[in-house]
Amino acid sequence: MFTNTRLPWLFWCLVSSLLPSLHGALDFDTEIRPLFDKRCVECHGPKKQKGELRLDAKPFALKGGVNGQVLQPGKADESAIYLRLISQDEKERMPAQGEPLTQSEIAKIKQWIDTGAEWPENAADLAATQDKRMQHWSVQPLKSNFPPTASIDSLVRESLAKHGLAPSPEADRRTLIRRLSFDLLGLPPSPEQVASFIADQDPKAYEKLVDVLLASPHYGERWARHWLDIAHYADTHGFERDKLRPNAWRYRDYVITALNTDKPYDQFLRDQIAGDVLSPNDESALIATGFLAAGPWDFVGHVETTSAVLKRSARAGDLDDMLTQVVTASMGITINCARCHDHKLDPITQREYYALKAVFAGVNRGDRVIDIERTSLQQQLAKVEAKLSGLLGKGLDLADIVGGGNGLGTGSLKAGLDVVTGSFGTSAQSFLKTETPNILRPPIFQNSAAPMPFIKGVFLPKGAKNPKEVSGLQLAADVVITDFPVTSGQSWDRIRNGKVSAQPEARVGDIDYLTSGHSVLGLSSNSGITFDLNAIRSANQWGSLRLTTAIGFGSREVDPSSFADFSVYLDSERKVYRQKMTKTESLFLVLEIPDSVRFLTFVATDGGDGIGMDQLFLGDARLLSAAAVSQDSQTQQRYASLNAESQELQKALAEIKEDPAVYAFNSTTLPKPTRVQRRGNPEDEGAHVSPGAFRWASHMPADFGDDSMPEGKRRAALAQWITHPDNPLTWRVISNRLWHHHFGQGLVNTPSDFGLGGDRPSHPELLDWLATEFLKGGYSIKLLHKLIVTSATYRQSSNQGNSLAREKDSSNRLLWRQNPRRLDAEALRDYVLRIAGTLNLQAGGPGFKDFEYKEAYAPIYQYIPPNTPELRKRSIYRFVVRTTPHQFLSTMDCPDPANLTPARVQTTTALQALSLSNNEFVLQQARQFATRIESEDPGHEPAIKRAFQLAFQRNPETSELEASKALVTAQGLFVFCRMILNMNEFIYLD
Amino acid sequence: MITLPLQPTNSRAIHSRRSFLEHAAGGIGGVALAALLNEAPAKDALNPLAPKSGHHAAKAKAVIQIFCSGALSHVDTWDYKPELLRRTGKPFDPDGKMQFFASKPGNCQGSWWPFKQFGQSGRWMSDLLPRLAGEVDEMAFIHSMKSKSALHGPAMFMANSGFVLPGFPSMGSWVTYGLGSECENLPAFVVLPDPRGLPPGGAINWGAGFLPAVHQGTTIQSSGQTPIADLFPSSEYPDLRGEREIQSRMFLQQLNRAHAAARPENSELEARISAYELAARLQLSAPETTDLSGETAATKKLYNIDDEDIGPFGRQCLLARRLVQRGVRFVQIFCGAENTVAKKVRPNWDSHEDVVRDHGYWGAVLDGGAAALLADLRSHGLLESTLVICTSEFGRQPAAQGSGKGRDHNPDAFTVWMAGGGVKGGCAYGSTDELGSKAVEHPTYCYDIHATALHLLGLDHERLTYYNNGVQRRLTDVHGHVIREILA
Repeated sequence: MFTNTRLPWLFWCLVSSLLPSLHGALDFDTEIRPLFDKRCVECHGPKKQKGELRLDAKPFALKGGVNGQVLQPGKADESAIYLRLISQDEKERMPAQGEPLTQSEIAKIKQWIDTGAEWPENAADLAATQDKRMQHWSVQPLKSNFPPTASIDSLVRESLAKHGLAPSPEADRRTLIRRLSFDLLGLPPSPEQVASFIADQDPKAYEKLVDVLLASPHYGERWARHWLDIAHYADTHGFERDKLRPNAWRYRDYVITALNTDKPYDQFLRDQIAGDVLSPNDESALIATGFLAAGPWDFVGHVETTSAVLKRSARAGDLDDMLTQVVTASMGITINCARCHDHKLDPITQREYYALKAVFAGVNRGDRVIDIERTSLQQQLAKVEAKLSGLLGKGLDLADIVGGGNGLGTGSLKAGLDVVTGSFGTSAQSFLKTETPNILRPPIFQNSAAPMPFIKGVFLPKGAKNPKEVSGLQLAADVVITDFPVTSGQSWDRIRNGKVSAQPEARVGDIDYLTSGHSVLGLSSNSGITFDLNAIRSANQWGSLRLTTAIGFGSREVDPSSFADFSVYLDSERKVYRQKMTKTESLFLVLEIPDSVRFLTFVATDGGDGIGMDQLFLGDARLLSAAAVSQDSQTQQRYASLNAESQELQKALAEIKEDPAVYAFNSTTLPKPTRVQRRGNPEDEGAHVSPGAFRWASHMPADFGDDSMPEGKRRAALAQWITHPDNPLTWRVISNRLWHHHFGQGLVNTPSDFGLGGDRPSHPELLDWLATEFLKGGYSIKLLHKLIVTSATYRQSSNQGNSLAREKDSSNRLLWRQNPRRLDAEALRDYVLRIAGTLNLQAGGPGFKDFEYKEAYAPIYQYIPPNTPELRKRSIYRFVVRTTPHQFLSTMDCPDPANLTPARVQTTTALQALSLSNNEFVLQQARQFATRIESEDPGHEPAIKRAFQLAFQRNPETSELEASKALVTAQGLFVFCRMILNMNEFIYLD
Repeated sequence: MITLPLQPTNSRAIHSRRSFLEHAAGGIGGVALAALLNEAPAKDALNPLAPKSGHHAAKAKAVIQIFCSGALSHVDTWDYKPELLRRTGKPFDPDGKMQFFASKPGNCQGSWWPFKQFGQSGRWMSDLLPRLAGEVDEMAFIHSMKSKSALHGPAMFMANSGFVLPGFPSMGSWVTYGLGSECENLPAFVVLPDPRGLPPGGAINWGAGFLPAVHQGTTIQSSGQTPIADLFPSSEYPDLRGEREIQSRMFLQQLNRAHAAARPENSELEARISAYELAARLQLSAPETTDLSGETAATKKLYNIDDEDIGPFGRQCLLARRLVQRGVRFVQIFCGAENTVAKKVRPNWDSHEDVVRDHGYWGAVLDGGAAALLADLRSHGLLESTLVICTSEFGRQPAAQGSGKGRDHNPDAFTVWMAGGGVKGGCAYGSTDELGSKAVEHPTYCYDIHATALHLLGLDHERLTYYNNGVQRRLTDVHGHVIREILA
């Protein structure tokens, strides 16, 4: 291949000597601009920007293209504009199309650049600096000065009248209740509800119906579906190893509850972006953050591969998914288009994309423990115990004993015991290993005064999957501990009276155990210590004992994440076992120790991820005599009541068997600085960016802070920025989403794209009026529903022959009628179950798994028909698998949850006809449906009428009844019911 | 066995079909009889799969893509690297700086099978693929393929949809979106998964992404009575057949027509009535298509359909020919499943531990089926109008995986070949470095494969677009060049 880069230069030296020589400045407007316009601007101008370069106006030309600046005034030989004209490489040489420039043209450009590249600004240049995109409708402030008479109907009729059109009359009541019921609940009305609504003489009958439906718990179940579509929620990871997310459902239930309780929409958004930070004591706000993690996640790319490049690539894709979801769902801006370059249509820069990425840079998808309740109980318990120890006396400080003391303050601070040898000392150790784990080493106090014999020994604990592979820890002839967790078999530092080596702090909640009046027993993994309780009892003449201690993680929150386990044994019985504690976790422990127990053992193990950062500690670890309380009756009473309180708290704590979790994320408080990735390539990093948003929405400053901003604060800032009352986009976007679902099309037909590439609103004033009313109504979504569905516009008939309107506006953008609609996949499934009488309306909880699950490298999911009530819950409660779509539902256009789906695509296919005719689910339910009508209304004719009532909420016409009777007589009710489920009237709403 | 015309045009054809149904397939497909009462085809305007003309004249009418999932090793098959063989046993990465997907590189490892030159073109091929070697003069090799991911899931998505993320339409979906279908009686985009299971990433490899669901691939099972899910009710419902079924359908149609007549504004209602007629046609065509019993003994032997190991893939290839013969637009055959519970041999080409064991097995599978397919298409006069593409999600490393006999993932080099459908046989485009480690001459991503395939089908990849969330999306994203060097 021709690769010698010097050749063009040599060639140029030859050519340049042949060129006519030109001196002095050239007139740009007569000599150069026409040349640019004629030969360059076609590809480097307003229509195309090859190489991201434009040469049609001064600011663009000076800015340069994808490879940087192209013009170096005074230096043609360093200006790409010129060099590309004279390149010998045909692929390089400009213009890419047509003949090369003539030698005199090239010479002119060289001379123009060499003499300073003067570019006098004309109107076109000035216009280029004024970005018309800033005038785009969606980023203008909401129009709010509407006359009091303004309404949906007045604004729609105004625009209809302008086009010489009139609205359609109101639909009949049966149509209205069916439409409303499916719109708001996703379920059909019962025949009885229809009859009573038709008969209701109250002029407010319709409003009453709307209120009843909006108050139904099924409302949240229906509308959560729409929100989860734009969150691309599912219950597995997706990608190659499509593992289960058993805790994702709590987020789904949050959405349902938030909608049912009409949580103000601004708070709904803030919860989902930063609820953990903005409302730290609210469990539901923590669960809401499952939103950020709702999309797919590549286990292999993040965890399994050993390649750092692949991990960075997976991470870049992960954060892109997250920030795209947040920005498109809330503000309808296609921010993902600015990942590789500035947004092609909207004035959003690549830097701004990465500023948003910096907001999420500390967010790592995963299960998050919900421990708000437990933490609160433990804090209460700590307070009660502090009061109790005031009555019981201080007891023995176990840290002091580790320091060679008697438990009353005689020990040496920072001193402690080596778990491999048992030797006492203060020197720092940073790695310990032994061939003989689980051997109890009695303490060896060579250089200190003879201590009390309170410590039986120390040891390096090691467990194995097969317990036979390691020996147990022998405490006495008849006491052996055999159930240590599997560990690396290494240790970090001695067990100390104080912090272990490199431990930065020792805090639990608001107590710093390193301050005076407190003690710290440092216990890094893997290490264990056994106290001899009989020695302690006899030295103090105590009987039954009480242990109180805080257990904390001493590494800072910003340190790399790490797991550790903590266990407490009484003799060989494990009484406390906390697995995979993280540095944000802590517990407060109270343990009653009966007379008969001889040994108390604490064990810290590494949680399976190595010993790094496992700096566990016990804060104020004390042994008290349970009988030491004074005899004075008032004190006795006080002791009894505190003790009862303590017992109750301990019981409540014990009842929390396992902390619940939600699939959300864990944080890195101070993530690494974010840099622009050129062309979206994580291996090609450019300028540093700080957390922020984009300036196109100018309601608030878009800069949030610098790299020192903790990640939670970044999300909180974004949540505030998105939900600011003056944000021009957020309120328009949600108003349009509601409209979209009530009319089958939005006022803006691209509900997640309000940018320049998206649709223009059919009724801009109406959209702003809705958004304004929404703000005035305290962000109440239910209020917005009510405004829309009570309008005459919504209540119009969908089936009005109107040839003029059809001719002028066949797609009904002007809203001269309501749109007929088809049920989506989930509503169809629920409807089938409903009329078969088998729908299980149990709400909430883990998703039902209508598949057989086989554990494998890539798990295998095989769907089964809903044979049990559990599997006949509403579709919103389905456990959604990404890689293996539900065949029946996806045939019915249920979207792939890899995609953000603001509007469902609807198709009509032969496979749908086959599924609805022959799928096992449909056939089973048709049989149930037949059984139901037969038992409710025996006899062919009554049963047929009942079927029509349940399916269509009307009686059959005579011809329909005759045809039905003929079919039923010939083949029975099951066959008839199967066909009812296939009727157009069944799945279309008027 | 009767020979069936592709389109029923006369009563004899109808009679033949009826005979077929009654005798060959045990009387299934009663609904299909109902369809025969009404031979009118669905209305084009309402049929999203009505045939559409492309942007320019097409060379190929259909595509058969063989997807070797798990990642096929190019240096053991199509990409001849004598220097690698010479260096076998020498360190590949003396500095120890490199890190592959799952390992650090071991020593250089030349092809486990010797290479020879074949055909008039003299292209090199390894002994692993003796039958395909006889077809080199039909094949155009693109040796300089790269992928943007070294992970099976994302790389599968990329090879199929052009994007490493899930959720984008697969090539088959784009093709049927662009061209519709020539065959009303079968799905336009058919997928034949490996009998061992789904490939990495699952069914969304043939998903329609944001395109209408009608464009998603339909999986067909090559054995059993229901080649397509829900084609017929299960055997528990023996009564839903024949004349009784016709009565049901007439009832449905009667009520649907009355309902539609009262709603002239809603044209979708008519489309849905037509969909039931199309479904009936499918009930007739699908079992006939998947029934291989009428093929000649020679054909069955050609595809080795009775062989326990290589037979299942042979059947898929034979079925692909039958589908294309009947006007199906795009057939995708998977040669290899996901890394499920590992048995003696890996369930796909992902040979981390033992190339000889796993490629040895899979090579025979691919070789038999693909060579038979090319020969069979040729003898049916279909090769000219059918583009055959054989690909993998990425390649494998020229170094051994650690000290073992396997090879790790290699996203920087692999080979794709095409044949038929306007492709120049016996040629090659692009090349890798002397070890087969990286593509160096004309590095190419799937974009160019997609652009070239669309071009041969008469579609301009820059003009085949669909709006989604702010972007006019393309199969080739913002990339893609037609590889003109391999066009006939």
